[in-house]
Amino acid sequence: MALTTYVSGTVLTAASLNDNLAYAVTVPASTPGGLVFIKTQTIGTTVSSVAVSDAFSATYDNYFITINDGISSANGVLTFILTGSTTAYYATRLGIVYSGGTTSFGSDNNAASVTSAGVSQTSGLYAAITVANPFIAKPSYGTFSYQGSDGANGVLGFWNHRVSTSFTGFTITPSTGTLTGGTIRVYGYANS
Amino acid sequence: MAMTYKIQIDDEVRDATEEEAAAIDAQVAEAEAQVAALAAKATARQAVLDKLGLTAEEVTALLG
Repeated sequence: MALTTYVSGTVLTAASLNDNLAYAVTVPASTPGGLVFIKTQTIGTTVSSVAVSDAFSATYDNYFITINDGISSANGVLTFILTGSTTAYYATRLGIVYSGGTTSFGSDNNAASVTSAGVSQTSGLYAAITVANPFIAKPSYGTFSYQGSDGANGVLGFWNHRVSTSFTGFTITPSTGTLTGGTIRVYGYANS
Repeated sequence: MAMTYKIQIDDEVRDATEEEAAAIDAQVAEAEAQVAALAAKATARQAVLDKLGLTAEEVTALLG
């Protein structure tokens, strides 16, 4: 479909306007450089894990996952896995305590998940996770970052899943308690 | 025996199977160990600071 650029005096028809609206909705998915919304998932009530299916596909190589709003029944962190795989997760994380600025370091060495990819607290949930290669049958990579609202660490981390399998979804699990509400959103970075 | 968990798969919410519950148990145990390890490090760091008579802010100023 074509994008019409209007100039002074151009007659704006319904068909032309509709074509432009359709262009705006569909073309970003195939235009290089854009961050394209894929899907959203509302978290249920007092659930111990949330699996999001059909998030990854051949359309994109790289993804961005956000989690916000909602609550946890206890203060903890959010673990992350590619659905169905509970081995070979490696991660490094740097934490900075905002009261004083001291640092702490953590790591996952062949773990069953990325053990701390987001924060789950009674005041809210938060995660910002990037994922590279999940659908490609190669190891996946990514980053994560969050700030605990309980006065603890701001955390920046890097993860790697050393399994050469194609995955279409992911699962979030709190380290303690259950999750209620909140929204998970998945975006794809358009391939060039 | 693994705990009973309520899990969500997209919009479906159901009880976890034994296998799924065991996987959650494993993840939770690892994550809790990570949190405990970080807390232990923080406690050890504070013990050293107390021994040296320095505050965290002073150490940050010293080491950048």
